[in-house]
Parts: sequence; C-alpha cells; structure tokens
Amino acid sequence: MPADAAPAFATPGALGPGRLIGAGGMLGLWLLLLLFIVYPLAMLLVRAFYDGGHLALGPLLSTIESPNNLRALRNSLLLALLVGVAGTVIGLVFAFTAERANLGRRAGRLIDFATLLPLISPPFTTSIAFVFSFGPRGLITYDLFGIGNIQVYGLTSTFAAETITYFPIAYLALRPMLASISSSFEEASFSLGGSRWHAFRTVTLPLIIPALANAFLLLFGCSLADFATPLILAGSDFPVLPTEAYLQITGMFDLRSGAILSLLLLVPAGLVYYVQDRFVAGRSYVTVTGKAATASRRDAVSPMARIVLVLACILMTTVILYFYALLFYASIVMAFGANSTLTLQHYRVIFTEGLPAIEDTLFIALIGMPLGGLYGIVVGYLVGRTRFTGRKAMEVISMLNYALPGTIVGIAYLLAFNDKPLALTGTATILIACYVFRYSPTGIRTTIALLQQIDRSMEEASASLGANTVTTFRRVMLPLILPAFFAGLGVVFIRSMTAISATIFLVSINWTLITVKILENMTEVALGPAAAFSVFVIVVVLVVTGLLNLALKRLTAPSLRVSRIGT
Amino acid sequence: MTKAAKLQRRGVLLGAVASPFVIGSARAADSLKAYSIWPENYARPMLEAFEKATGIHVNFIRFSSGEALARLIAEKGNPQVDVLFGGPVETFTAGEDQGIFDAYTPPSAADLPGRFKSTKGMWTAIADDPLVFMTNTAFLKDHGLKPPTSWNDLLNPAYKDMLQMADARTSGTAVTRIFSILQVNNRNEDAAFGYMKKLRKNVQAYTKSGGGGTVPVGLGQAGGGIFFIVDALFTRQKGYNVEISFPKEGIGSAAECIGLVKGSKNTAAAKKLIDWATSPAMQSLLAPAKINFLPANPKVAADPNLAAILKSANIIAIDDKWAGENRKRIVDRWVAEVLNAG
Amino acid sequence: MPEPSLEIRLAGLTAVFHHERRGDVTAVKELDLDVRPGEFLTLLGASGCGKTTTLRMIAGFQQPSAGRILFGGEDVTNLPANRRDIGFVFQNYALFPHLSVFENVAYGLRVKRKSAAEIAARVAEGLLQVGLHGFGDRMISELSGGQQQRVALARAIAIKPRVLLFDEPLSNLDAQLRVQMRTEIARLQAELAITTVYVTHDQEEAMAISHRIAIMDGGRIAQIGTAEDLYQRPESRFVAGFLGSTNLIRGTVVGSEPGNTVLDVAGYRWEIATDQRLLPGQMVEAVVRPEALGFGDVGSGLAGTVESRVYLGAKAEYGVRCNDQVVHVVQANPVASRLYGIGETVYLDLPASGVQVLAVESPAP
Repeated sequence: MPADAAPAFATPGALGPGRLIGAGGMLGLWLLLLLFIVYPLAMLLVRAFYDGGHLALGPLLSTIESPNNLRALRNSLLLALLVGVAGTVIGLVFAFTAERANLGRRAGRLIDFATLLPLISPPFTTSIAFVFSFGPRGLITYDLFGIGNIQVYGLTSTFAAETITYFPIAYLALRPMLASISSSFEEASFSLGGSRWHAFRTVTLPLIIPALANAFLLLFGCSLADFATPLILAGSDFPVLPTEAYLQITGMFDLRSGAILSLLLLVPAGLVYYVQDRFVAGRSYVTVTGKAATASRRDAVSPMARIVLVLACILMTTVILYFYALLFYASIVMAFGANSTLTLQHYRVIFTEGLPAIEDTLFIALIGMPLGGLYGIVVGYLVGRTRFTGRKAMEVISMLNYALPGTIVGIAYLLAFNDKPLALTGTATILIACYVFRYSPTGIRTTIALLQQIDRSMEEASASLGANTVTTFRRVMLPLILPAFFAGLGVVFIRSMTAISATIFLVSINWTLITVKILENMTEVALGPAAAFSVFVIVVVLVVTGLLNLALKRLTAPSLRVSRIGT
Repeated sequence: MTKAAKLQRRGVLLGAVASPFVIGSARAADSLKAYSIWPENYARPMLEAFEKATGIHVNFIRFSSGEALARLIAEKGNPQVDVLFGGPVETFTAGEDQGIFDAYTPPSAADLPGRFKSTKGMWTAIADDPLVFMTNTAFLKDHGLKPPTSWNDLLNPAYKDMLQMADARTSGTAVTRIFSILQVNNRNEDAAFGYMKKLRKNVQAYTKSGGGGTVPVGLGQAGGGIFFIVDALFTRQKGYNVEISFPKEGIGSAAECIGLVKGSKNTAAAKKLIDWATSPAMQSLLAPAKINFLPANPKVAADPNLAAILKSANIIAIDDKWAGENRKRIVDRWVAEVLNAG
Repeated sequence: MPEPSLEIRLAGLTAVFHHERRGDVTAVKELDLDVRPGEFLTLLGASGCGKTTTLRMIAGFQQPSAGRILFGGEDVTNLPANRRDIGFVFQNYALFPHLSVFENVAYGLRVKRKSAAEIAARVAEGLLQVGLHGFGDRMISELSGGQQQRVALARAIAIKPRVLLFDEPLSNLDAQLRVQMRTEIARLQAELAITTVYVTHDQEEAMAISHRIAIMDGGRIAQIGTAEDLYQRPESRFVAGFLGSTNLIRGTVVGSEPGNTVLDVAGYRWEIATDQRLLPGQMVEAVVRPEALGFGDVGSGLAGTVESRVYLGAKAEYGVRCNDQVVHVVQANPVASRLYGIGETVYLDLPASGVQVLAVESPAP
C-alpha cells in the first residue's frame, strides 16, 4: 500500500461528544481566523483597490509600473534571498557545530546565549550598533582600522545586520532536526569509505533538506517583512519595499499606494511558501518512530573541520556579544560618543516616565503568550495531522499575517477595527490579537515540523489501546509536541516584547509599548533611554524564556529534550 | 490614568488571568488625550506644567508628524485623542485638508502674525522653529572647512556622502527644507530641483525623522546636515561638538502648532490646553526648560542665547498656503527626481 | 482465559485509495476471510499486496470503501479503533517516547480507568510474560530493539484484547532475535488463545508460527490454508512460486481418470496419483518441489543434461535441462550417492504422488 495514499487519522464512527466539541472548536477557530486575518486584509484590499465604490486599478498599475517601486521589489528580493541563504548557512554551521562537533560545555553555553540575543532584542539594536561600528568614524572601521572613507549605508550592512539578527532562527529550526538524525546514518556512510565531509554531504544534508527549506523560508519571510533594519541602514540608494510602504503610509499619508506596495511583497512570499511546500511535501523523513534511536555521536567531524567550525562560531559569537556590549555601554553613559560619564539616569527615566509602557507591554505579552501557544499547536495539529475540508486554506490563512509586512497588518487592523461593530482600537485586545495571529505561525510550523517526525502509528497505537481522539491528543500528541507549545509561548512573548512594525499603528493612549518608546527614542536620537529600554527588554525576555525552558525540561522526556525556546 | 486604575491594572497584571476584553473597557477615559509630535522630553515638562496649572491630566503619546497624521486620518471615524500637540505647520495644513480638526480660535491668536494661525481657526502656533546648518567641528577641521554660510557651500565635494538630512516623505523638517530652497530660488522649481539634485551627491542618508541625523553628525559619522534649531541645540547640549550656521541666502522656519481634533470627547478641557499652550503661560516655560523653540507668542521674549545665535540668521517666510497647496506635488517630485536619482 | 476467543469475519472488504498521480488505486478487492476463534492467521504477501491495508481495516485505522468486518458476529465496520478492543503491535513498535516502560504498558489500562492496583498487577504480569520483569522504570530510549518489541507486545496484551493484530513486528530485528521472538509470539498466542491476525512478507516466519496462512496477491487472497496445504498443494502458479522454490514441469495430459493421471513430458510418460480431473490434450504444469525429485537409473525417468551445479555440503543443487525447460533438483546428502557433473546426461525420478497439477493459464510458448 503506498504510504502517501494512506487516509489520515480517520476515525470511523458516529457523532460522539468529542466530535461535537471538535466541530464547535473548529467553527470558533475559523471565526477567529476570519475575524483577525481575513477581514482586516479584505478591508485593506478594499481600501487599496476601490475608490468610491468602484474598482480603481489606476493606482495599482501606476504603482507597479513605477521603476522606483520595481527597484524596491528587486532590492527586497535580493536582500531576502541573500539573508535567507546566508542565515541558513550560518544557522546550519552553528547547529552542526553544536550537535556534532563535540563543543565544550562552556563554549556551547556561550554560543546558545549569543544566538539567543538577536532573537530577543528589540528592533534597531543591531542596526544602531552597526551605525556606531562602521562608517567614516565607526568604532571598527575608523578607530580600529583607520578607514575613514567608507559608508555604512546600503545593501552590505543591511544584509549583514539582518543576517546577524535572523540567523538564530535558522539555528533553532535546524538544531533539533540534526539532533534527531541518528548519527548512525553518518557512521554508515563513513563506514562505507566516504569521508566525513562526504557523509555530511550525502547523508546528513539530504536528511535535513526539509528543515533547511523551512529555515530558508522563515528567514526569507523575516527579511522581506523587516522594515526596522533597512530604515536605519539601507540608506537612500537601496530602497526596499517594506520601508517604502511604511514611508508611503506614515509619511505621504498614502494608504493606497502603501498597501499596494506591500501587497507586492505577497507575491514572492507566496511563491517561496508554495515552492517550499511542494519541495518538502514530497519527502517524508520520519525519524521519531517510537523506536528510540541511540544518542547521536558527537564527533562526526574531522579535527581540522572541527577547529574551523568552532572558530567560525566563536567569531560570529564575538561579533554579536560586541554589539550587545556596545548597547549596554550606551545605556550607562550620559551620551554615547560625547559624554562617557557613567550614569543610571537612563534607567531612572525608563522606570518613571517609561513605566506605563513597561506595564502595558508585560500585561499584553503575558496575556498573549498562552493564547498564542495554544493557537499555535491547535492549528499546527489540525493542519499537520488531520484532514478536513479547508485544511490547506487554514494553513495558508494562518501564515498570512506572518508573511505580510507588519506595517500592512498594522494598517489593516487599524482600518478594520476602528469603527463599530468591532471598534477595538485603543484596547489591549487589538494588540494581543495582532501578536497572537502574527507570531504564532512559528509555533504552528514547529508543531507541523515535529508532527512530521512523529509517526502516525503513535496515534494508532493509542487508539488501539482504547483512547479516543481527545485522549490521544492529550496523553500522547500533546507531550510530544510540547516543545512546539513552549516554542510558541516563547515566540509570542518575545515578539510581544520586541516587535514593532505592526503594533506601532495599534498602540494608543491607553496602551503603549516599550518598542514604540524605543523607536521614538531612536528617531529622536535619545540613545541612552533607547539602550536602557532595550537592555531591560532583553533581561526580561531572558528571565521568562529561562523559566519556560525550565518548565519544558521538567515536563518532557529526556529523549525529547532537543528543543530550546527561542523563536 | 487615575491611581485607582493603575492599581487595578497592576492587580490584573499579577493575576494575568482576566480577559483582555474586560480590561480594555475597564480603563477609564477620565483625562485629556493628545498625540504629541514634540518629543517626550519637550512635551512632558510642558504638559505636566499644564496639569499643575489646571488640574487636567494630559495622557499623551508621541509620534512623528507623518505617523500622527496617518493615525488621525485613519481614526477619523473613532477619534482616540482630543488634541494634536506640537509639530510643524505643514502637518497641520495637511490635516486641515483631511478634515481632522475642529475650528477653535484661542484668545491669544489675536496677538499672532498671520503665518502662526489657520484662517479657519483649525490650528494655532505655539512656537517657531528655524532650520539651521549643523556641522561636525572635527570634520570641518580635518577638511580645512569653515561652517557653511551659503547653500552652495554644501555642494563642496568635501561633503561627498557625508551629509544627513530628513526624508521628505516622513519629516516636516525635510518639507520645510525643500520649501526653503524653493523660496531662496524665488520659487523657480527647476532651479531649486537642480540644486537639490546636485546636493543629493553629498547626501549619505535621508533619515526618517528630522532629528535622525543629529547624533551621526555629532559622532562624526556624518559631516553635517540641515536640521531644526531645536534639534541642533539639543545635540550640542548633550555634549557633541557641532557648529551651527545659517545660509546667507536665507532659510525657512516652521511654526509649531496645536489643533483640536474633530470628534474630541472632551472639548472643554482640550480648549483649555490650546488656550494655555498658545499663551505666555506655556511659552515662557520653554527657555527655563532648555527647550530651544522660539516662542510664537510675541509677548514672550526669546531666550537670550537663542536670540544671540539667531542674530546672524536670515530667516525667510514660507507661504504656508502656497506650500500646503503644492506640498504633495513638490514632495512627489522630490521623491522622483532627487531621492531616486542616487 | 476470562473470555472465549472470537471469530473475525471479513466480508467483501474493499479499500480504494485516491492517489494523487495514479488516481484511484484498489488496495483490497472484495476480500472474504474467516479467522477462527483462537486461530493464529497470517496474511502473507509481497509489499503492495494489500495485507497491511487489510490489517489496518481490521484494526479500524482505515475505513473500508465497501464490505463488513465482524468480530464474533458483531459488526464493527463503523466502530472506531479505540472501541474495537484490539491489541496492535506495530512494525516500528510505536512506543510512546515520553513514557516509561511501565507507563507504556499501563497506557491502555489507564485509558480504561482501571484501579492502580489492577494496573500494577497487570503491567507486572505483562512484563513478566514478555520477559521484561523489572524493566518498568526504564525509559524507552534505554532499551534495545528486541526489548522495545517486547514492551510493544506487553502493551498490546495488557489490555486483554479481543483480537491481536501484528504488522510485520519482527522486520526491524536481526535474524537470530527474529527467530527467538517469533517463537515467543507463537507461545504467548497459544497461551492467551486470542484470535490473531499477523502480517508478514517473510514466508519462513509465516510458516513457523501460523495455524493458517492467507497468501495475498493484488488485493485478493490467492490461497488460504495450513503451511503444509500451501506448500504441497498450491492452487496457482503464484502460490507455488511464492512459497519456497519450485518446478513447474510442463506437459500434456494423455489420460485422466479418478486417482490417476498420465502426462506426457517431452516424450516421457509420467503417471501421477491425483484426484484432479483433467482433460486429455490439456496443457498443464505439474508443481514439483526440487527436493521431491531424484536421480534415477540410466534410461528410467525424464532425460536431461546437467547445466549447473552448486555443492552445499549437506545438499547439492542442480539445474537440469530437459528439452525446453530447466528443472531444479536438490540432491540430499550427496555424500551417500554421487555428484553429477556438468554436461552429464541424467534421468530424473518424477514423484508419483504429492504432485499438484495446474492448468496452463496461457498456452505455453
């Protein structure tokens, strides 16, 4: 019987109470998806294409035909492609080094910490550190190397900053996959006379292709949607779409062309998603089968390669730590580059004037976290494990808010929820909904990826032992996808603390956010408070994710402890 | 926000269990609400002084001019604030066209010159803010340059890729700058754009906010730029070594304004704030707070230091009506011919 | 045993899958099968023959497109897997990696809300039965493959299911362990007397443990019977060829009467004691196992030339060309007689009984 033709976990049988609950839950889920994803986007499209009740394609055509916008589209694609490839490669190097190169415990910890930092940082931190470090009077280019005639703005630094910011996502996506691949595969190849490199190329690499594709997609999407980094670093010669769209809307008050510009981004995002889906869907690499594999061997690389890998990781780690040291330094001096007197004044400012923002942000993050975690695994489970009409639609819809540039999501929410009957602007609900529906796709994808590795026979075994679908989910699947749940929790919390592009439009008099304060301080070049806020956010996120990791460790079996809370 | 509301919120925060829907509505709307385009460190001391004077608490949030305007337009159906506080006049004229304001003419308006108030009473000036050239002292010394005193000085190849100034799409500073250039070229647009295209070669980055380039110039990452005097002097106050100079041909100035948002739920208090901000009551506080705006109200004297700096300046008038009518076209042309020429 | 064993009846069972590229694929076609109470029945066949699909339909993991499944007369066709009361042992064991050995075995009992004391007793009993006494606290990852298979077995029998289903449970084990485990499975099944359906592609395994074997081909049962039946009396070329190596010796029926049939094989007259009724002139194939053939005296038997020879100590294997066909012969204990050389003319002793004669489905070339 062809395995790919097997019907899904179709439990034959009559309507039971579980079914009714399921049907009700499904209906509720669809309502939420329609309300918080489809409806706002529809409102945005209406605003973009309709003029006084008529379809108006003029603005669309002129926006698409504008050579400047085409240049921005090309730049965005180029940037996303570069960041996707470079970030995936660096993430793979880190993951492979961590899993296979027999790192020391301490070096491993350091790398873990360094890769965590960009994930939990508020926007602009890397960009600002770049501006200080490179350029005509940069700490590195001028003070260290004496190069004065160099520009920091443009493709190179935007690409580098985004890669540093986003590669940990690839690292986190790839590491569990590498950990779950029994090194016996590599040993098998090694024993067949192949070199270790050959083993890696012909065995490990093909096995993690789905994970690589997934990592690439994540990074590509992040880069496509990122407006914060290009805003600071792209300069005027390298316009990219999200920044252009943001400026169109915030600066030119031109919602329509801003909307159209960012809708252009949907094309490449959708295309990559489609390719990845086709690419990965054709291959099934079931590795968690219930037949527990032995722990992976940790010396799958030659001593020479090991040194190269470790050095590469240490170098990257040093760069990251340097950036954050710079950030911390900026938070404790009076004025960076002008007055180096040590002071706690910036921290005093954020805990007095900034306190409402801190309270609001924590409140929203703590409410959104469990909701997002739950939403992530429920949708992930439904999409990854069950068959129902509209499953594909649900998968695509659930990814939309994530794939779209935040600016667009923010504006769409603003348009959709400003008026009755759903006047949510000014409430915490709109911020929480925005975070949950925008940042849970990581949880969804992690769940799907984990599920792809969990053989269907797990559920069948449970069913054969008398457990119904709900019991099976609760007692078998839930513990197995718990890492995804915690990953979902972590991401929603981290993003609630650090994201800005969408929510900048949704903050209100009643509810404001730390990140918006940081942006405000950055643009007004009040670097001290901006840095102090950033340090505070990083510390809070470190503490909360640390607690989540602890909980995850206590709750999951040792054999499953491969995942880490991050993005 | 009241103390009680704060305590309640903290309680909920600790519990973190209640539905956000409940919390959203439970927070009382008992104070005046404002969007401020002035940065927090300028707006906060002013609005706290207002609370001290009147007992009305102003709950405010800061946005750059473009963002504030975009929000007010988007929120037209369900206004969230009562007042738009601070920000260059061009933002207010654009907002007036979008119909986001209600007319209100404060008593002090009678004392103000024409360019400081809307003919329909939609906005009134609370301060004036001239543009300046700001340059990095060390950069000038390294290149054997003097602080620029003419628009043409900025075309010197020594500045190649070393100037930062604001992007006209988001920044009122940039719009004021462009209209200044048009004005010194006697509104000969081709001549003005010819100049800006030449200047483009020396520009390293167009920043999102008007003050975005000040610290890079302070640090020496950029050699100089064109900023509002309030941002330039604040850079100097922070300890960066920068020079401030003016072009002999003249440079524009932007009135900083206040306006009553249409649909305000607390118009009485909003009008009190507008009355207070346009009067000497507030504007006499600017100098003591080291906020380097020029008072708009003629009854308040400018800070002597500020006045000394401005003594050498040739501040020219920009026709706000003409600027408002041509703003979109000029900015579009700037985007097409200058920004994208690089 | 607390409950009497029950019968499994499959009636007209059909499974059609929709395949993205190949369209509708019928995996199981109108299959009828009775598994007797307490019987150990094996579904044997090559991959893709429909055996696993059949088993999964019995388990309730897959819904049949048509037909019915009855457990002891009760129609369970529409009953979900979790209410069929089955024990299923998976090819990959499907143990829960987050649970200990004890909790894996206890899983079904906990689902059924048994008391803690009963759970403890039955898990202990189950682990004892599979020889894993004292392994309860281990995590699954700490066990060897064979031990994991035992846990899977203990888990399946701990709930005292009405039927036991095995899906190639031994295919992941090494040969020695496979032999050991299949003996234990057979012993346990006999002890518990639970009606059992077992799926494998390994004919030796099937023959070693089953009461009856159903050989499947193309979604249908080709033949069902004891190992002996199938080996000695295959009803088709497929079955003959599937179980062990065999010769299909072509010939023409010369005469046929009850108890005796005469074939003409390349001019040799071959009398066979069989009750099969055949028509004179009919082309047939006689199924003869290589070990049933012997070398006769010169001039007596089917003449042929030795084409190949493999000497294996305890036996020797020959390929003998007789006209247009090659007949395989196994010579047992060649030390006792003599070895024949390649090119040598030999005369084959064709057995007079125990020969199954099959009508030729298509005319021989």
